[in-house]
Amino acid sequence: MSARLPNTVPQDWQGETYHGRPVVKASSFDWKVSAYIVMLGIAGSAQVIAAVARRQPGSAGLVRRARWLALAGSMVGPLTLVQHLKTRSRWFNMLRIVRPTSPMSLGSWLLTGFGALSGATALGAWLGRRWPLAGRVAEAAQGPAALAGAGMSIYTASLLSSTSTPLWAAAPAPLAAQFGTASMAGAASALALVQRAVGEERSARRLETLAMLAGAAELLAKRETESRWRRAGIAAPAKEGAPGALLQGGGTWLGLLAPIAAHALGRAADRRGGRAGEVLPELASLAMILGGAAMRHGVLLAGNESACRPRDAFRVTQR
Amino acid sequence: MDGGLAHPRVLEHTDRDPQKPIPQEAEVTAGCRVEPGRSYGFFTDTTLCIGCKACEVACKEWNNLPADNLGMTGQSYDNTGRLGAHTWRHVTFLEQDARATSMPPFQSNWLMMSDVCKHCDPAPCLEACPTGALFRTEFDTVVVQQDICNGCGYCVPACPFGVVELAKEDGKAHKCTLCYDRLKGGLEPACAKSCPTDSIQFGPVEELQRRAEARVTDLHEKGQPKAYLYGTPGAPGTGKGLHHLNAFFLLTERPELYNLPPAPARPARNARPSLLSGLATIAGLAVAAALVGVGRR
Ligand code: SF4
Repeated sequence: MSARLPNTVPQDWQGETYHGRPVVKASSFDWKVSAYIVMLGIAGSAQVIAAVARRQPGSAGLVRRARWLALAGSMVGPLTLVQHLKTRSRWFNMLRIVRPTSPMSLGSWLLTGFGALSGATALGAWLGRRWPLAGRVAEAAQGPAALAGAGMSIYTASLLSSTSTPLWAAAPAPLAAQFGTASMAGAASALALVQRAVGEERSARRLETLAMLAGAAELLAKRETESRWRRAGIAAPAKEGAPGALLQGGGTWLGLLAPIAAHALGRAADRRGGRAGEVLPELASLAMILGGAAMRHGVLLAGNESACRPRDAFRVTQR
Repeated sequence: MDGGLAHPRVLEHTDRDPQKPIPQEAEVTAGCRVEPGRSYGFFTDTTLCIGCKACEVACKEWNNLPADNLGMTGQSYDNTGRLGAHTWRHVTFLEQDARATSMPPFQSNWLMMSDVCKHCDPAPCLEACPTGALFRTEFDTVVVQQDICNGCGYCVPACPFGVVELAKEDGKAHKCTLCYDRLKGGLEPACAKSCPTDSIQFGPVEELQRRAEARVTDLHEKGQPKAYLYGTPGAPGTGKGLHHLNAFFLLTERPELYNLPPAPARPARNARPSLLSGLATIAGLAVAAALVGVGRR
């Protein structure tokens, strides 16, 4: 709690600003950061799926593909992220210190560990076909890789929330739940696509169920995030313009409602032996991945916009 | 020989090499020695500010900062607009309704304040910095090391006061250093030294805080009941994880009118609830995945 102002100055803020000028500065984060958030979210959750699936009979193919997906994400993602640095040649300074208060510092280390563990699981299993020791390394690395993967799925939300940007800072817990569910929905959808492509349809269907559950949970998290924004009086940037379109049209309709409905429809058609289930699941999975990306980019842009609005900054710093 | 108004210590240096500074010159200009291990800061008393912008000019001169706005903003006499990568002091101007005849003493119907990096304790920019480029100096000030910053830009949204910014020219974060180089040489920071009314005072933070409390009492007695401090422990501008600001202010109106948030929060406080909720979410979904039988053919 912060101290009260003296009684001699007006106690209630009437919406005054300093010439309408911003109070805080917007981040320089752009689509490269959103792309990184999406890629590493999918990669991280893929490792969680690999760890869970490993216990099931007949899961070898899925586990193998999930590990490769995770490795691919942890290779391409950082390359994208480094492009966002304004002095790219110094990217390695990220590993110069450990700053426990900085989600970006912790995230850099987590990413490093996740990449190494993903390499161990994917390459270890591959080499394990000739050298059994490598296979054992892969199995031993799976648990830690899934833990790191859980972190990768969500730490980007903490990174955004640990700032003075009103929209990001106003709902730390539900925003992280939203990012986590979107990561899991994205990973399950991506792996469902792969499983369908290689003809493991029943495995794909279980992944689609997981994606639907994650999507439903994301709807709940999203409701909570938005109600916190509304209560703080700072929801406008998430409703208007490009961020609004990305969040509502892309994130909610394209990314959640449409694919959940499509999966449900596909199931119903399947049960009747119809043909609606032919490409519908693929389209739904694709929509879920794209919707997750739209949601993250929408949150990013809406946050940058909210930082430019002095009233929003003052609203969240009244008491 | 009598030194007149000059500080007695000036006389010790009458035959010095004019190219060299007086050792611990801050003692002469600000009345305090600059020693490592103590906290230094600014007390900016807005009731004394006349809006001359000498501080802005001195800062640009000493720190070799380029001009960044040569136009007019149309916002009173504030043509600087904002603190940024190249502007480390910014005098705000707000014209108030009351005319000169009805106004309280010690503040015209203009609100003027020389804004600056607050050198917060704890400092959100420093807490966000992943490279260690931002660090706390031996004078308890917060400085960006230009040879380490890699331009990730995370300190920019972290700052609750919109101070630090990336420069387009070199892609690194820049802000007030509280004249780190001058402090090393025993000199008072350029803005404080140039301030003709002593609206900007430099010194050890506890001493400045004492002086500021006394000034508030004095102003209350003299008929300016609105005077209060912003950024001292327990005052507006602190709380919610921010203990105090090494650069603090004496204000006479609501903080918003000076573009200051009344109750800023330490952003790093949000990391824990966020991480916990996120990890719980993933754990829940992992259980769901197991129940669904993900992996089974
Ligand atoms: S005012 Fe901003 S830039 Fe200055 S120390 Fe505080 S957080 Fe850092």
